Amino acid sequence: MIIEAHDLRKTFVARRGRGKTEKVEAVRGIDLTVSEGEIFAALGPNGAGKTTTVRMLATFTAPTSGTARVAGHDVVKEAAKVREKIGYVSQAGGVDDNAPGRESLLLAARIAGLSRSQAHTRAGELLETFSLTEIADRPVKTLSGGQKRRFALAIGLVNRPPLVFLDEPTTGLDPQNRANLWDEVRALRDQGTGVLLTTHYLDEADALCDRLVIIDHGMIVAEGTPEKLKREVAGDVVTLKLDDLPSGEKLLAAQPYIKETRAEDDTLRAYLDDGEHNLPALLRALESGGLAIRSISLARATLDDVFLRHTGRSLRDAA
Amino acid sequence: MFRHTMLFLGYELGNVRRNPVWPLFGILQPVLYLLLFAPLLTTMTKGGTLADALRMFTPGAMMMIALFGSLFTGFTMINETRNGVLERLAVSQAWRPAIILGRVIKDVLVLIVQSLLVMGVAMLMGLRLGVASLLLMLLLMAATGLFATGISYGLALAVRDEGGMSQIVQFFALPLTLLAGMLLPISLGPQWMQTVARFNPLYYSVEAGRSLFAGHLSDSTIPIAFGLFAVLGVLTLTWAVRSLRSLAG
Ligand SMILES: Nc1ncnc2c1ncn2[C@@H]1O[C@H](COP(=O)(O)OP(=O)(O)OP(=O)(O)O)[C@@H](O)[C@H]1O
Ligand SMILES: [Mg+2]
Repeated sequence: MIIEAHDLRKTFVARRGRGKTEKVEAVRGIDLTVSEGEIFAALGPNGAGKTTTVRMLATFTAPTSGTARVAGHDVVKEAAKVREKIGYVSQAGGVDDNAPGRESLLLAARIAGLSRSQAHTRAGELLETFSLTEIADRPVKTLSGGQKRRFALAIGLVNRPPLVFLDEPTTGLDPQNRANLWDEVRALRDQGTGVLLTTHYLDEADALCDRLVIIDHGMIVAEGTPEKLKREVAGDVVTLKLDDLPSGEKLLAAQPYIKETRAEDDTLRAYLDDGEHNLPALLRALESGGLAIRSISLARATLDDVFLRHTGRSLRDAA
Repeated sequence: MFRHTMLFLGYELGNVRRNPVWPLFGILQPVLYLLLFAPLLTTMTKGGTLADALRMFTPGAMMMIALFGSLFTGFTMINETRNGVLERLAVSQAWRPAIILGRVIKDVLVLIVQSLLVMGVAMLMGLRLGVASLLLMLLLMAATGLFATGISYGLALAVRDEGGMSQIVQFFALPLTLLAGMLLPISLGPQWMQTVARFNPLYYSVEAGRSLFAGHLSDSTIPIAFGLFAVLGVLTLTWAVRSLRSLAG
């Protein structure tokens, strides 16, 4: 296991002005295990505690309680050893705006212990990988958001770490760059590098990661592979708008092929397996119950349905 | 440790090399003081010449850059507490004090070059200075700069807010300047000012500077100033390095 965390907690004491303080329980007991060469995602809404968790694992923030071992070393007692083994790309990026990206990359390489010529070779490789060679000598402040992200990533990988932390790596990227980044993350895994990334994009967690945890209010509410988590909910979901929602829910809940129903505002979601085959039966049931359907759609269950099931609200309107 | 300090220093000097104009702006103010203010002082000095006025006034004008220039250097770091640069360095293999030391040494080197330029202007205007005085003055500038940049980085990391920091710096800079006798010697003032000035560390560096420029190399003001700033420099730097930790929340 490259990451083993037990009951990690972090309580911040935030100033509220006029000398008053407030306790913020950012992380409230998180257990994690991530194995070598795995893409692991922490999915959760804003303020869920993703960044705080990553910061504790990356030795930036000391946990209030709990323990974590990263690459075999304790994150508090052996922080220096952990730092040799990780790359960390923060949510903010962390590339010096005033210098050319190449300089930041070279400095990071030298700090990681490379000689001057090794550092040049390594920087050259990374610039090539992330197609940055052309813009390596321009001050970073003149680059676009996506180009800066790629520099941040290159710097995070400079010491060939067996584990990288990517805190919301795709926020602010256009679809093209997002897809490129996904490819780069997959390439890392193929070389045996473990990746722990955070995201609040459902499709990203679904498409990219081998396993994930869903974090809400500082706690893990679900854990597993995307497939397993979705299967626990059901294969498919029928979303309905009805005039009489309560009786519709009662009627559908009584059907044998319906696993679960959930009413939210004016929509009713019914979870079922093998939706294509069961949809006709569902329609017949509603018709014989005399319920008028205003709209209906059938879709595969997503991680949002998983989130909804575990937290009672949709990730789209969480936060 | 030493290696990391040198790496950060090299990086910072690279930035200075790419933008060498900013430090030149820094010496504009003391040079203007030398050109437009020092001549007003000629009648106040014993000899009554411009060279005498410069001998009395230049050390104070130089300490202005050591104080003002250095107190503002920390501003660059406030942004880095937010844009993730310091966060990244904090979890890198870098020896943490090197992050501060590299910058401080860069600032001190820039200050030494600025000092040389200001002294050069004063000499062109007629000031005469011995080699020992000149070298010791550079050292004194470095010691004062070390203290002031230490405060500046410490403040930047502790306050982490441009508005707050500029208020604090403004608030302290003017009384510190006046009560150090940077413009005119404190000995011209009333007794209470002379008493208050003794609690201002910069008073000692200005006095020591004047002794150096007057060629009184055995004056007690000189070892007092060096001793004081050696201690204060270590204290403020330690504070700045420790403030790095508070980033993590
Ligand atoms: N340094 C700090 N001081 C006080 N409170 C903090 C601090 N850092 C984070 N918090 C609080 O802890 C909680 C979790 O924050 P965190 O940054 O870990 O969330 P997140 O999941 O990364 O959110 P986002 O998706 O917005 O990045 C929030 O309520 C936040 O306000
Ligand atoms: Mg975050």
